[in-house]
Amino acid sequence: MPTTTAAAMGAAQRRVAGPSLARRLEANPFTWLVPVAVMLGVFYLYPILDVFRLGMTNASLVGSDERYTIVTLQAMFENPALLDILKTTAVFTIASVVGQQVFGLAIALLVVRGERRKLKGMVALRTVVLVAWVIPGIANGLIWQMLFSEAPFGAINSVLRMMHVSPVAWLSDPNIAMLSAVISNVWRGTAFSMIVFYAALKAIDPTLYEAASVDGAGHLQKLRFITLPQLRAAILVNSILVTIQTLNTFDAIISLTGGGPGRATEVLSLFTFNTVFRNYDLAGGSVLSVLMLVISLVLALFYASFMPRREVSE
Amino acid sequence: MMRLRLVTALLASAAAFVAVSAHADNLVTKDRVGPADAPKSFTLRLTNDGPTSTDPVWAEGYQKLFSEFIQRHPGWRIDLERMSDNIGQEQARMLEQAKSGNGPDCAAVDSFVLALFKGANVLKPLDEYFTKEEVADLFPFIREGITGPDGKIYAWWWNTDLRVLYRNKEIVPDAPKDWAELKAAALASKEKGGEGVLFNGGRWEGTTFDWLANFWAQGGKLVDDKGKPIFAEGENREKFLKAVNYFKDLVDSGAAPKRVATIVNYDEFNAAAAAGTAALFIGGNWQYGQLKNTLEPEEFPKWTFSEIPGPTADQRSTGTGGWTFGAFSNDPEKVAMCAAVVKEIYAGPGNALQQQLPTAAALYGKYDVFKTEANETFAKALVNGQARPGVPIYPEISNQIQIMMGDVLSGTKTPEAALDAANTAVQAAFARL
Repeated sequence: MPTTTAAAMGAAQRRVAGPSLARRLEANPFTWLVPVAVMLGVFYLYPILDVFRLGMTNASLVGSDERYTIVTLQAMFENPALLDILKTTAVFTIASVVGQQVFGLAIALLVVRGERRKLKGMVALRTVVLVAWVIPGIANGLIWQMLFSEAPFGAINSVLRMMHVSPVAWLSDPNIAMLSAVISNVWRGTAFSMIVFYAALKAIDPTLYEAASVDGAGHLQKLRFITLPQLRAAILVNSILVTIQTLNTFDAIISLTGGGPGRATEVLSLFTFNTVFRNYDLAGGSVLSVLMLVISLVLALFYASFMPRREVSE
Repeated sequence: MMRLRLVTALLASAAAFVAVSAHADNLVTKDRVGPADAPKSFTLRLTNDGPTSTDPVWAEGYQKLFSEFIQRHPGWRIDLERMSDNIGQEQARMLEQAKSGNGPDCAAVDSFVLALFKGANVLKPLDEYFTKEEVADLFPFIREGITGPDGKIYAWWWNTDLRVLYRNKEIVPDAPKDWAELKAAALASKEKGGEGVLFNGGRWEGTTFDWLANFWAQGGKLVDDKGKPIFAEGENREKFLKAVNYFKDLVDSGAAPKRVATIVNYDEFNAAAAAGTAALFIGGNWQYGQLKNTLEPEEFPKWTFSEIPGPTADQRSTGTGGWTFGAFSNDPEKVAMCAAVVKEIYAGPGNALQQQLPTAAALYGKYDVFKTEANETFAKALVNGQARPGVPIYPEISNQIQIMMGDVLSGTKTPEAALDAANTAVQAAFARL
């Protein structure tokens, strides 16, 4: 066989065999995703799957003979308190999401407007609002508990008395206690919404407002026909994040009202916490955790369905 | 030459002193007692009652006690772990860790959940480390609490507490003896600018525990001998409703402010006493010392305490709690060290340091701090002491009583409807145990 023919055959074989395994693994994007997938799987997916598994057992922190059963599932959904707790959760979540968005947008508009006019103190204003966001939930609850205290020396009621206004049963009246819980949660969460809206407002093309001014549009018309439509994606993303965050909030409530009086402010996350850490019912708490996951997913998908789609030309 | 020798001796003494001091200081650190390179060690999980206490006097006292202890036990090191103030969550976590074999070797176990730890079979018997005389000297409810169904002791209950009625003698000169007298005294105190009587009524364990005295004083039982909830059946139901209606009447009549439904901390009573707005409150025996530290020197002598009034003058009860130590280790040497920590540091010296009531009668005569009039009165009141039932369903019973109290005091539900709702929830939980 001539040398040239042998060389040609060798080259052909290498082409058939392709690059080495290391080269092929290196070229495959999944190789680079494996570490992340393993991390997510171990630290996120496995706990979720374990919660699903525990929900199908009678696991308890007290008992020892763990077995698979649907009795826990049945017991949790037949619990007469669950419906009231879901209603309380809905009221708390809706009021908090709306409140945080409205106040967040208002403060963001104020800051952006102030910056356009080159007013001093805008950075300080942003910082002051952000301070509330970095306060831990438990501390937030304790701060508001002192403010809402109905003792003769309670902060807000003392001011009301000085103004000759009757003191308010901020925490002992079941209806007002929910309002108090919402106020404390909105106070803490508004900063997050403000950041999201502030970033989105900065991204709006100023020529839109210039054109609107030329057309004689007023402030409210600019807000309605330019700002809000341009903020649509930010509002929806913010809604998803704030809703999930609020659904998971229990630290601020546990330190503010403990869920009381009665069950007036006991939201689903607090009910779940109490089920596991006070009643030692691991299986029951797992069922409730799965319920929280499902509610969060459904709401996220609902919001996502309103997200603006990208144009084909893009 | 003489001077040189003297200087050398002084320098050597100073160096030795510094070395010894440094050695003593190093014996107790934030997370360790004893030399870091000790051949043997065990983990000890504590609450605020230890060398890392937030109370500087307690911290200093325990550092000394632990330092002396470890010098009596050469070759050992204690690895300290500290629980947060969220005791319920900490104890639940520790139970789960102990069940899976990852618990500490020795730990503080709240007497309130001791039955759960005993039921989970995670505690090691401590009989061989305590004499029969020492066990016999414990108060009956303490002995019963630490004893398992096999007659062995599974923990050592080293301190206890009880609830009493505090009053400002200037405003309420005589101790109310029954419910009617307390209501009258509270209403009279309001006329002098006070809030009336204060008690725990929010969503926390203190609400259940403090109120149960009124149920127990009538002879009410939460569970039967087998641990089944019976508080809503027969005579117990009547007694339960009578005790709930008593609290409701205090609020409805104005003898207690509506805000009691929000009180979830004994510190609120101290604050009200300091602000001069409260003349009566139901609190713990440990608050006597706190009041002494909180109130102005001329204000403290105005305060005193008496037993919690019952429905009649001769029907009295009070809730008793406290802390125990239990061993989880499979190593007998570590279990022995755990028992030694309790005997040498906590049962006696620890009680005296923190002025927390001992659980054995002999200790009251041993330490001067317990010979004060106040502590002798507390000790006598322990005769009517009642511990919470050591059954797995108790946490749910307590949870439902807290919810019921909030619903009743805020007027959301009638006592009957609230009791029925509580009983339904408790029975459903009991069926799943």
